[in-house]
Formats: sequence, C-alpha cells, structure tokens
Amino acid sequence: MSRHESAAPPEPGLSRRSLLGHAGAGLAGIGLADLLARTGTAGEPAGGSKSGPGSGAGATHHVAQAKRVLQIFCPGGASHMDLWEHKPALDAHDGEPLPGEPLVSFQGRNGPLMRSPWPFRPAGESGKMISSMLPAMARHVDDIAFVHSMTSESNTHGPGCVFMNTGHTFEGFPSAGSWVGYALGSANENLPTYVAIPDLRGEPPNGKANWSNGFLPAEHQAVVLSAQQPIRNLARPGAIAPATERATREYLEFLNGRHAEERPGDSELRARIASYRLAARMQLSAPEVADLSRETRETHALYGTDDGNRLKAAYARNCLLSRRLLERGVRYVSLYCASRASGVDGLLNWDAHKTLKSDYERHMPVFDGPTAALLSDLKRRGLLEDTLVLWTTEFGRMPTRQEGVAGRDHNPDGFTCWMAGAGVKGGVSHGATDEFGRRAAVDPVTVWDFYATVLHLLGFDHTRLTWYNNGLDRRLTNVHGTLIRDVLA
Amino acid sequence: MTAAFRGAVAALVVVAARPAPAGEEIDFARDVAPILETRCVRCHDPANRKGELSLATADDLVSLGYVVPGDARGSHLLDVVRPSDDGPPTMPKESAPLSEEEVAILTAWVEAGAVWPAGVVIKERAATDKSFWSLRPLVDPEPPAPEGLPEAWAANLIDRFVFAKLREAGLEPNPSADRRTLVRRATYDLTGLPPTPEEVEAFVADPSPDAYERLIDRLLDSPRYGERWGRHWLDVARFGESNGYERNVLIDGLWPYRDYVIRSFNEDKPFDRFVLEQLAGDVLGPGDPSVEVGTSFLVCGPYDDVGNQDAAAAAVIRANAIDDMIRATSEAFLGLTVGCARCHDHKFDPITQADYYRFYAAFAGVRHGAREIATPEQRGERDAALAPLVARRGALETRRSEFVAAIAARAEAHAAEREAGWTRPPADRGGVEERFEATGAKFVRLVVTGTDRSPATPSNFRVDEFEVYSAGPDPRNVALASAGGRATGASRRADDFQEAYAAALAIDGRPSTRWHAHGPTLTVEFAAPATIDRVVFSADRERLRPSEPFAAEYRIEVSADGERWTPVADSSDRKPLGDAHRRHRLFEAEITPGERSRVAEFDAELAEVGRLIAAVPTFPSWWVGTFSLPEDRDVHVFLGGDPQRPGDPVAPSSPTVLSEVTTGYQLDADAPEPDRRLALARWIVRDDNPLTPRVLANRLWRYHFGAGLVATPSDFGDMGGRPSHPALLDWLAARLRTDGWRLKPLHRRIMLSQTYRQSSAWRPGAAADDSDDRLLWRFPPRRLAAEEVRDTILTVSGKLDLRAGGPGFRLYRYLQDNVSTYVPLDEHGPETYRRAVYHQNARAASVDLLAEFDCPDNAFAVPNRSSTTTPLQALTLLNHSFTLDMSGHLADRLEREAGAEPAAQVDRAFALCFGRRPDDAERGAAVTLVVDHGLPAFCRAMLNSTELLHID
Repeated sequence: MSRHESAAPPEPGLSRRSLLGHAGAGLAGIGLADLLARTGTAGEPAGGSKSGPGSGAGATHHVAQAKRVLQIFCPGGASHMDLWEHKPALDAHDGEPLPGEPLVSFQGRNGPLMRSPWPFRPAGESGKMISSMLPAMARHVDDIAFVHSMTSESNTHGPGCVFMNTGHTFEGFPSAGSWVGYALGSANENLPTYVAIPDLRGEPPNGKANWSNGFLPAEHQAVVLSAQQPIRNLARPGAIAPATERATREYLEFLNGRHAEERPGDSELRARIASYRLAARMQLSAPEVADLSRETRETHALYGTDDGNRLKAAYARNCLLSRRLLERGVRYVSLYCASRASGVDGLLNWDAHKTLKSDYERHMPVFDGPTAALLSDLKRRGLLEDTLVLWTTEFGRMPTRQEGVAGRDHNPDGFTCWMAGAGVKGGVSHGATDEFGRRAAVDPVTVWDFYATVLHLLGFDHTRLTWYNNGLDRRLTNVHGTLIRDVLA
Repeated sequence: MTAAFRGAVAALVVVAARPAPAGEEIDFARDVAPILETRCVRCHDPANRKGELSLATADDLVSLGYVVPGDARGSHLLDVVRPSDDGPPTMPKESAPLSEEEVAILTAWVEAGAVWPAGVVIKERAATDKSFWSLRPLVDPEPPAPEGLPEAWAANLIDRFVFAKLREAGLEPNPSADRRTLVRRATYDLTGLPPTPEEVEAFVADPSPDAYERLIDRLLDSPRYGERWGRHWLDVARFGESNGYERNVLIDGLWPYRDYVIRSFNEDKPFDRFVLEQLAGDVLGPGDPSVEVGTSFLVCGPYDDVGNQDAAAAAVIRANAIDDMIRATSEAFLGLTVGCARCHDHKFDPITQADYYRFYAAFAGVRHGAREIATPEQRGERDAALAPLVARRGALETRRSEFVAAIAARAEAHAAEREAGWTRPPADRGGVEERFEATGAKFVRLVVTGTDRSPATPSNFRVDEFEVYSAGPDPRNVALASAGGRATGASRRADDFQEAYAAALAIDGRPSTRWHAHGPTLTVEFAAPATIDRVVFSADRERLRPSEPFAAEYRIEVSADGERWTPVADSSDRKPLGDAHRRHRLFEAEITPGERSRVAEFDAELAEVGRLIAAVPTFPSWWVGTFSLPEDRDVHVFLGGDPQRPGDPVAPSSPTVLSEVTTGYQLDADAPEPDRRLALARWIVRDDNPLTPRVLANRLWRYHFGAGLVATPSDFGDMGGRPSHPALLDWLAARLRTDGWRLKPLHRRIMLSQTYRQSSAWRPGAAADDSDDRLLWRFPPRRLAAEEVRDTILTVSGKLDLRAGGPGFRLYRYLQDNVSTYVPLDEHGPETYRRAVYHQNARAASVDLLAEFDCPDNAFAVPNRSSTTTPLQALTLLNHSFTLDMSGHLADRLEREAGAEPAAQVDRAFALCFGRRPDDAERGAAVTLVVDHGLPAFCRAMLNSTELLHID
C-alpha cells in the first residue's frame, strides 16, 4: 500500500535510501518480515542488526563507529564563555567597550564587555580550561572534543532550538533523532527507537517541534518519556482486569487475522497485527526501563538522584533513565537540562539576559554532577565505545553585558557544542571564537557540519540520507555540511 | 589590489577581448563553460554572489584576481577546486569535488591565457524549460478507444483512458466491487463517515439501475461532504491555529476560514472564485465577511512574533513570513515549488530567483493579524449607535473627575500636617526593614496595598526574600523554608511547572529566585511559635533588576492561629515613593465615607454605560491579515536570500517562463497593494494557465484514489512525479474548465467510472507487473485518515455531535506563560464529540489519536498524508480513556438497539462497525467474549479492529 504513504516520484534520480524509504515505511513494509519472525523474542541486545533500511546498522553507507546517540540539550542559549571556552581577554578588558560598532542584538543595546563571574581552571591531561563552576565535568575533558566555533542561523530560541535539532529554522522538518531512527531502525523492538526526555521544568522552546518527525512517517516520532512522566497511554487502564484484557486482545487478533487473510498482498494489514503485539511487549519493557529502583545505591549516589536540590535530583534521574534506555538499544535519546522561556529571563533555562551570575549558579550545579555521572557510567559499562554523546545548545551569548544589567544577550555567531564517545577524539578543541567570544573566528562550524559528522560516525554519508518532500530530496544537513575531521578519532 | 594583480587583470581583459588563438585545444564554450554552468554558477551567479563572486561573466574573476592568465599556480580559482593536503577541495561547497579531468580542463584553460569570449554569460540551466510537460498548453484530448474495451468500460470516458493504459501493460481491471463495499467506500470518500446500517441495507436492496448514481448524488449533497473535502484543502493550505515558533500562541480568529472552506466546498463554489477570494477577498467583497475571510489563506501559516531587536534578524523574520505565503500560494494552486528559488534560481524548474521576488512583491504588504470586517456604511451605523453612549460616558467621567478633584484639592490643603508624619525613607526594591516590639507569633503576613507602579494596585509585584527574625541576642530567620517555614500567596501561573513563581521562592534563602505576586498577601507560617521583632523583605536584593516591581505600600501583621491578625508595622510613616503615591495617600486620608460612596455610584454608572457600549453589536474581527505596503515599496532580489544584500529591483509580475506559456502580467514597481494580489490571483485562474486546472484535477484524483496521477500533488516540476496518465489528467483538467470550475461534476464523473467501482481484490499476477497499482488494476484500499478514525468511533458509538461550525474544541490543555505549552487531555468530554475537522489545530501540539494517525502538524502544506502503522497507535487506541468511554457508549447502544441477547448485540455491532453480518465463527467467539467479560470488552475490540479502520 505504498501509494498511501508519502508520495514517491517514480522517476530515477532519487538516492537508493530515499527510494527504499518510500517503498515501505517502517512497519508497513520492510521491517515486517523480521518483526514477524521475531515475535516472541524479547529484549534484543543493543546494536543487533537486521537487513534493509530502517531496520538496523547493516544498512549503513560505511562502517559505523557509533550505534546510538545521546544528545544533551541545554536550552536557552548556554554561554560558551562562561562554561567551556576560556576568554582571558574578557578579564583584561572587563568594562571596556567591545571594539567595533555599537551592538544591537536580540533584546536591544549592549553595554561593555563583561568578564565571566567565575574563574576558569585547567583540567585533565589536556589541560583544557573549563569554568570552575563545572568541577565534575572537568574530570571528563580528556574524553570530549569541543567545537568552539559553532554558528547558528537564528538568534531566537524557538527557531534556534529547532535549527539545532533539525538543521532548519522552520518547523516541520524531522529532528536528528527521527533521521537516525529512519536510518538505523530499531535495535530493540520492545522499546521506542527515539526517546525525548523533557526537563522537570517543562518543554524546551518550541516544545514538541524539537523532537518532531516532520515529514517522515509517524513511526519516526520521538516517544516522550521521563523519570517524572511515563509514556502516554502505555498502561492498561486500571478498570480492565488482566483476564479481560487478554480475552479482548485475543478476539481482536482473531478478527484482524481473518481480515488480513482475506486480503493477501496487503502487508500493512499484517503490520497492524504485529504492531499490537509490539505494543504489548512495549507495555512490559517500558516500565522496566523506567524503573530506577533496580539500580544500586552506589549508582543512585553517583548521579545524585536523591539530591536535596529538587531540580538536580530530577535531572539526575533523567540522566540515569537515559543510560538505561541506551543500554537497552534505544537509538537516540534527547535529554533536556532546563526548559522554555518564562516570564523571567533565565529562570527556567540558560537564557541569562539580566542576572547571569545568580541564574547560572542555579543552573550549573543542576547540570554538572549528573551529566558527569552519566558520562562516567557510560564509560565504565563500555557503552561510551559505541555511544555518541552530544552536548548542544541553540546559540551562545554575547561577551558584553546588556545595557544596564548584568547578563548577556543571544549570540548566534559563535558558541560551543561538544561530542564524546564513539569514534570521537577526546581532549581536543576544534575552532575558536575571537578573543572576546563574539564570533566564530577559527574554523567556523555550522550545525550542518556538526550533523554531517554525527551521521558519519553513525555510518552514513549525510548527502545520501534523504527523503523527498515538497519539491526536494530533503536532508538533515539541508544542502550543506562538511565533516569536522579534527574531532574524529 | 597589488600592482601585480592589476597587471594580470589587464592581461585577462585583453585576452578576453580577442578571439581564441588558432590551434588552441581548450575551447571555452565547449569545455570550460559547462563546468562553470553545472558546478559553479548556482551559488556564484549575479543573483547570489556567494563570497561576493559571480562566475557568470569574467568581471569578478578579473576584478577580484581569481585568475592569473597563463599562471595556473598563481590562480586562486584553481586552488579552491583542487584537494588540499589535509582535506577535500573547498569548492564546490554544495556538491562533489570536480573530477580530475575537470580540474585539468580549467588548468589548461588558465595556462592557455584564460580566454573568455566577449559577451558570453554563463547561466545555470534549470533542468526543464517551457516545454516541460506541466507547462504545455492544456489540450482536451480525445478519449482513446482501445481494443478489447469491455462494454461496461466504454460509457464513462475516464475508463477508456485507464483501460488503454492497462491494456498497454497487458493487465486487466478487477470486476466491480459488491454493493456493500461500494456504499462504504463512497460514503467515506465523500463524507469521511461510515454509512449507517440502514443506508447499507437500503443500497444493497435497491433494485433500480441508477441506485449507485443516486447514492453519489445524495452524498455530494450532504453537508458532511464539505467537512471531509474542506479538510483536504486545509492540509493543502497549511492551516494551523497557532502561530508556531517559540511563542506558538493559539489563534482564535481562524475558525471562520475553516468554516468558509467547508461552506465553499458544500456550495460547490467555482474554484477560480475560491482562488480569487483566498488571495484577494478583501478586494472582491470589501466589508463582506463571507468573502473577506478568504484571505486567511495567506496568514494561516506559521510566523515568528517574538519581537527581535536585531534589525538584520527582524528582516529575515519578515522575509520568512512572506516566504511562507509564496510557498503556500505557488504550491497549492500552481504545483510549483517557487520557494526553492529564494536563494538562487530554481535548480530543476524554470523559475528564476527574480521570479521568486516577483511573488514577494505581490505579498510585500501582507501582514499576519486580525482585522475587523465591515463596510463603511456598517461602520457609520455603529458609530451612530455608539455616539449617545460615548457622550454619556464622557459627561459622567467629567463629573466624576470634578468631584474627585475637589477632594484632592482639600487633601492638598491639609498636606502639611499629614506629611509631617512621614519620617522614614520610602520603600525600596532593594529591601526594607521593619522593627517592632517583640511579639510571639506562629504566622506573619505581608499585606500589600500598592506597588511602585501603581499606588492603589495590590498585585503584580515581586518578593525575592522575606525574612522574619527572632528577638534576642542571636537573631535567626525563622521564616526560612530550611528552618521549617511555609509560604503561601497567589502567584503568577505556570501550569507546566508550578514552582516557577511560587511564594515558596520568597523564603528559599536565595535572592536569585522570587515570588511573582498575583495577589496582595504573602503568608508565612513558622515551624513553631517564635518571639520575633524584625522583618526584612525585598524585590531585588542584589540590585540587578532595576525595573523589578515591588511593594511600596504595605502592612505587616502577626498571628498565633492564622485567623486573628495583629498589625505590627506598616509603610504609612514612610515617605511616599513619588508624587502619585503622595497624592493617593493624601486623598485616602481626606475622603469621607459619604464621598466614597458617591465615587462608588459614579463608578457603577460608568460600568453600566460600559455595558451598554459593549452591547452594541461589533463586527467580526477575524484572522484575515492586514494589508499595507511598507514605506519603502521597492522590492529587490535578496542575493543569496539575504535581506541585507539587495540585488536588482523587481516589480510584481508573473514569472518569466510562465509568461511565455500564459498571458502574463506586469505591474509597476509601486503598484497599490491590493492590485498586486488581485493580478496574481487573476493570472493563476486565467484560461490559458495550464497548471491550475491540472493541479486541481490531480488533487481530486489523489483523494479519490489515494495517489495522484501525478504522485506529488504540489510539485508539478522536475523533482515531482510524471503523470501516469497524461492524457487523462488533461481531459479531467479540461472538464473543470467546461464545468465552470465546479468540483462536484468532476467527483461524479470519477466516482461513476468503473475504474472507481472496481473491487480492491489483490491479484498476484497484476501485482507482479504493477505492484503499487499505478495503472489502477484494482481499487486501492486505504486506512482511514486520523479525523475519520475519531469520527468513526464516535459515530458507531452513537455519540457524534454533528453541530457544524464556530470556534473549535480542544483535545489539549492550553497553558500560556510567555510561551505556550499544549498538554494532551487524558479525558475527552462531550464537548469534544464533534467532527475532528472542528478541532482547534494548534501547531506542535501533538494530540494522541489525531497525531498517531498522521494528522499533520501543518508547519507546511501537506499534499500527501502519511499512513503509518505504529505500536503507539495501538497503545492509544487500546488505552486512552476515549476508547474506553466509547466502548461503554457503544455497549449501551447495542443494548438499547438489540436488546439483551448477546448474539443480537454482536450482529448489531457488526452492522454498525463493518456494515455486514458476522459469520458463525465471528459471532460465536464474540458471544463468548461478551458473556465472559462483558459487552464493553467486545466493543473495545471492535473499535480497535482493522476492518473498522480500513476501506476496500
């Protein structure tokens, strides 16, 4: 029944993957045989491969380094020069005007240069300078490849977040997690392929558009799950007794089976039966993965899940949940640390327009320990070897203070993101902003370059992972993207 | 530029001016031009000039010194296309590196003197030109008379086209579907709802030869038709009822457009009129809401309203808003992806970048927003009705202010004595301290009567810390949460994160977080009774937020039980914060009780007049956009799509190549705003525009058969599909013309065809030759669309509420705190039992069942919906309370309509859900289920069944 799916122009010229993508969307076609063959097997190990697109790592363009991705997203525009990129010139020139024309940015006029409120300290064997507010993350710098010369196409949170997640500032495009799910398929049919974990404080700017499947079929949508919020509609309603549930589903399968038998050739009908079996297995697996009580006391202590700071404890639980999801073969986990723009800048996320110091003294302790614990835990379990960890934000911040206050405005012209884990060279810093942190000055990197590199590590040529929509074979990297070779191990 | 460069430039110019030397192996036109044409000028053309370089002519190569004739090593052009030591070549950026051979040609060309024949301009050629199939003039082809045409397939001309193609491929069509299948197929197709069992049986039993024809006519006349087909158009129009982007605010004035679309389909409004109204309804029917509403089409897409202060970013945001209109218009009506030409000429289709900005000029004055729709006469009538009321209000206001002024004057006369008591400094956002005689208390409260902004408004202020100190030598803050204190007070709402602004933030010991008061009182209860003598509170302790609103007039009260309160301190002996505060205090001290009640009478009278004014009927204020050209009317090409790089000016006109195949239009650069949209609209529906009827005919076909004759209904360009039946497409398009742009006659033609009436039975042989049924050897079965799924469940459960039109219902909770959050509802009440087309479809607000079954988000137009199968669908359909509620309602209905006998109940359920009787096995198993586990359990299975959700 491919004619009902996203339309495929039958003409030549489409890449192989997009043609196959059209020919059968997920369960509706390609995965079916495998799925039926596997019915009854529970909990495939992480990274299990099948054949065909959308069904496992066997279908990559080249040998993959990474089998799954963890993307940590700090929404609000986390300041590069207050977290990751040391700018001694800001100390030397604090209070002086930024050389160049008077600067009007997102919220208006900017005042003089403002030093970071906290000193930077060298860390690791690489001696990487990192904010003293991130003592736990400092222990991981030798595993991290920093990209200090990121640039964005938008200076606004919503389009900026969507751009960072989809490669497009407009809504409606698939997020990186959906592309990866489309590319790699499931490694554990009993769990979703792509999970988005929003923060206790709410959804990030532009909300659900950040994990949208865009024009990719709905099977590539993210499932929203967090330590504070189970998967919607997962549980059997309490009013229905187990025996009733069983009998209902047996009759349903009987009806659907006869209906499908009478209509040979329509694989979608059998896929529908399979989807109900899969749903049943998900009902068993998902609560297990979300059940953090199965972790040891030591592990809980490592993450800080019982921390007196409610926000930190909540984020720590989501970090631990992330590890459990990755360990069980979820392909892409988008983990958020902070949320949307509120009535006060910088209250619920990293958007420190007016009171950088007190805002970040709330946000950094929430982020630092649990994130570092997650990296440590992935590493000691060997998961970091084939898990690609990304740290992203939608843009950086200005080296200046906003006029009359002690915070920084949005800066899409230069900021930091980083990668660690599978296939990534640790302890390196790629690119740099200028001496004050205003613009990417050395080896500027676009979001498209960043994802070209991510897809490369997953075994894909970003120019060949496409899906036809409204006139074009669309890509995560739009029509751009160059590998960041410096960060490859 | 260095002297050496200047020399090189001079040489190149000289060389370029003279003919190529004889015997030269490299020929510019043959060898070099194709490389530049295919690999370079897409970005480096005059309209884009990436890196400020155009390779269309020799000018930039010369002036920027990219080429040193005769010196390959010294020519930067060659550096960038050759791989470097540590990586691939830097150019071309957007495609594979040049081949070695291509690099060799360029090198040889430079070595040979870089000859660029005078006058040669390199242009990237679009893959297509005006001879492309979709741009050719529309013809009315003669239906073929293929050999072997069965008699039943001869009458409806559509069948001849389809049969001819089947015959060519050696395929046979399926026989007709049975009547049960046909009535279900046609009913869903035209109304999006299942037929009732009675309708099914009546049709099955109807002996007359025109039974089917009458069925189609009845369905086309049903008001449910517009609800189904209008929804299709809303997909194409990227209709969404929130603005998207960061704030994603719900838009309440868009439902009239949804109703207008439904009405237009039901009335079978000629499509050319429909196009004109959607682009220029305000011009065609000024003051007529039923016509002006059409322009919502232009402004129902997403747009960014966040208010960027960065001028360059704001210009991009405006350009994005217009881009959305250009894409929506060109794709919906013309099947042209004009949006692809925003940054450079269209790579595939003959649409230049200048053409894009010609469309831009048409929409340069369109802005998002609501507008009151009324004629000048209507406005005059309303003004006349308002006049006496407004006059009365003015008189009242004057009398009130005179009365109040007299009191104020008296107060001023007594000012000195009162001011003498104001000895302490005024309240301060950085902090105030109140000391009082030591007293025992379990509770302390701050009662605010005025803020710095408004001396009489006791709300909307902040408290970052509120501290209460114990008396004695070693004072400690007994209010602290960490000391067991508990704070309560009305705060600004943030339903997705209640703690964001909560009163607890005033006693958390951290001045970086603050209580956002939405009421006058902050109450703190201590862990245990304490003896206290001091309170300190502030709104901006760190003095970092100079505009933080704070409590200016207040009192502090203590209590042992939280019931009886004793004041211990207040602000009355502080100096007032400013003149307004001073006057307010003096006034309050002066006014007598009698005067106060007179003021209250004035206020009551004013409120009454206000009510009368509000009762005068208003005009609809709908989200139809506003229209006015910016002060600077000039529209330029934006080089590379960047508003900061204006290129050549353009005027509103039809696209270049299309103006060769249609009668184009050309307006002056400063043409009035309405003329621009009207000219574009008229051109779209001109008789000689071949695209509009082809695109429309194909959309109709697509919704009847699940796939268009052209598989990409909004892309009739090179990247889109080619028609499977080109002659049939033209024939259908020609019928739209002869039918006066009415759709219902075309629906009728299509649905009366044998092609449409075929069974959907699958045949392995035919499938081997044409697996996706492009040639239509069977009717393609389909899954219901999201709206149909929900409407069907409501229908069979007997709960569908057919009230049409008006504001939509919501399946989410709408939370707004600066930005919007959409929380899907766990319970769907009866107010949601209307057809899903009446759901208020916010963007990025995925709603369980609708989202799971591929209802689009409408960030873009959706010409083809997906039809996916996922485990989340199963979970939602099994476990959401909506299914459980409907299972219960269906069970009640079965008992009501079929009595207490399980077998009869099961038969009735099969009739309602599937339009047929169960066989013995189905009935037997169902009866067992009903007997053992109850009727609702059986109903829940039926509502999840494939047969309910699929159409043969």
